[in-house]
Amino acid sequence: MKRLFAVALGVLTAIGGFVDIGDLVTNAVVGSRFGLGLAWVVLVGVVGICVYAQMAGRVAAVSGRATFEIIRERLGPRAGLANLAASFLINLLTVTAEIGGVALALQLATSVDPGWWIPVAAFGVWIVIWRAKFELLENVTGMLGLALIVFAVALFMLSPDWGQLAGQALQPGPPAEEPVATYWFYAVALFGAAMTPYEVFFFSSGAIEERWTVEDLAKSRLNVLVGFPLGGLLSIAIAGCAAVVLLPRAIDVTSLSQVVLPVAEAGGKVALAFVIVGILAATFGAALETTLSSGYTLAQYFGWSWGKFRRPARAARFHLAMIIGILIAVGILATGVDPILVTEYSVVFSAVALPLTYLPILIIANDREYMGDHVNGRAMNVVGQVYLVIILAAALTAIPLLIVTGAGA
Amino acid sequence: MTEAMNTNDADATRQPAGQVLDAHLHVLDRQVLDRDAVPVTTVDDLELDGIELGARIEPGSPPPTVSAILTGPQLAMRLFGGHAPAARRIAIPWRLVADIGTVVRLGVSGDDLDAGWVERWVSRHLIGRIPGGRHDPE
Amino acid sequence: MILSDLLGSVAVEADGTRLGTILDVRLEVSGAPAQLLAATVVTGVLVSPHSRFSTWGYERRGEDGPLLIARLQRWVHRGTFLVAWDDVERVDEGRVTFRPGYVQRDAMLPRATRERT
Repeated sequence: MKRLFAVALGVLTAIGGFVDIGDLVTNAVVGSRFGLGLAWVVLVGVVGICVYAQMAGRVAAVSGRATFEIIRERLGPRAGLANLAASFLINLLTVTAEIGGVALALQLATSVDPGWWIPVAAFGVWIVIWRAKFELLENVTGMLGLALIVFAVALFMLSPDWGQLAGQALQPGPPAEEPVATYWFYAVALFGAAMTPYEVFFFSSGAIEERWTVEDLAKSRLNVLVGFPLGGLLSIAIAGCAAVVLLPRAIDVTSLSQVVLPVAEAGGKVALAFVIVGILAATFGAALETTLSSGYTLAQYFGWSWGKFRRPARAARFHLAMIIGILIAVGILATGVDPILVTEYSVVFSAVALPLTYLPILIIANDREYMGDHVNGRAMNVVGQVYLVIILAAALTAIPLLIVTGAGA
Repeated sequence: MTEAMNTNDADATRQPAGQVLDAHLHVLDRQVLDRDAVPVTTVDDLELDGIELGARIEPGSPPPTVSAILTGPQLAMRLFGGHAPAARRIAIPWRLVADIGTVVRLGVSGDDLDAGWVERWVSRHLIGRIPGGRHDPE
Repeated sequence: MILSDLLGSVAVEADGTRLGTILDVRLEVSGAPAQLLAATVVTGVLVSPHSRFSTWGYERRGEDGPLLIARLQRWVHRGTFLVAWDDVERVDEGRVTFRPGYVQRDAMLPRATRERT
């Protein structure tokens, strides 16, 4: 069990990045419309986040500096502030969506209106951030979130036509019924979801919460190599389930019940119970990750004391910022807005903020003052620069595609 | 290039007598940690002592020194321009700095500094009042 | 004087020819000894003919990676040189004037600063 807990940070980061409420729905939507035709984007995204999270984790372990501190130091206060504003907004929208998602998952479990669950969810998120130790937080939500593996199990139990699925996956390109622009919109959305900046902020700050040092570099790598591919796998499994059950019947995904329909069909009540636990843990974990991320980014930009390893009174502004964030999220939800719609927009906006986040990481990972002998090797630099180009392409095309396709309608 | 790298040989090989830093590259925007490694602020700006605007500098006069780390309102000035009155400045005297590396380390505790007043205020009057705020996480 | 007022100032020769912008200020911790650190003195200013802002330092350090970025940065900040503080005649708001006969020095940082011990 202890070995499993050692990778809890990677698993939790990946869960928040790949299977939070927005991704759960987006993956199901993609599966129900494109089959596995966009699976290649998930693969590209997984490699990208592995490369950069590995760099960010290494920087945190060797130099003790978290990603946003480096962003301000390398980009200067103006660009750093622009990144902060964008990241904070995205985090806020995502927290709103996740708290809404927790409420929706609880509705799925209890059939009680989600409006009642929102304050419960918000309070739950806050109290865990306030009192629970970081290790406890990541171990519990990470492990419970693994219940989502039931999607992969369900996919097998549905006895799909593997040849047909493989055909969809290996034939990248929009199917006849869908416009090209919409295909690429979802490609950018999936890529943005896989490489969301808050994953790196959380992972590197989490590395410091866990007090990783140079001796923990192997552990850092393990976290990355276990967590993110697992997240990608879950993403693909969700899309696969939707491809097998929803696509043939042309069922539109509009709520969580359609997302879990394939699992219920495959494994009945037991599987449904697993998936609900998994979704609950994943959305709750994602809510924790994004709330903490908003606290980390603000504190690291302004130089405030931060960290869950400190008592709240010794990291006062850090906790105050997060409390305010949660309150604003509840306020937004109280207006009755659909949290899932909120995430679909926030995913696209996060694609725009990607270059300002990843460029500094690549620069610092090469800086001997910070890294000593642990600077990037040649191969890592090549891959890093290739991805920088991909990231720039995604960032530049995200908003135009959003407008042209009407958010993938 | 006009006046190509016209280095005076004796000066070029002069070994620096201490740590050499570039202010913007190595000091600005870095974290300031106190004696116990608790973050205090970021270096928003630096105050240099010994430069008089508009005055001719006599050859051989002593060089200017770094006198303080500026924070607080100075960040807004740096981002958008303008100057805050001296009374509003929050400064950490440079003589309190013990080490400059990837972070700037002070030799004193953050609790003793002016720069920590917002943190102390929020801690005492807001966070400290919520139950559990003063306890370690469990 | 505040550092950020000095950064970005125009650097001119004694006869008024514009040389570039003040990119950075070189410091040395080698002044009068004090309780913790010796006083930090200004030893020079870095002037760049083509750019105004450099936070990565590729033009002053031996860093080579990542390759494309290092090359791009070195090109953007090409021609950066150091002028010793002794060669500074006046500092006005937004402008720094050098003495006649000032010397343009190599901007590279000494080895000890460039590597983590």
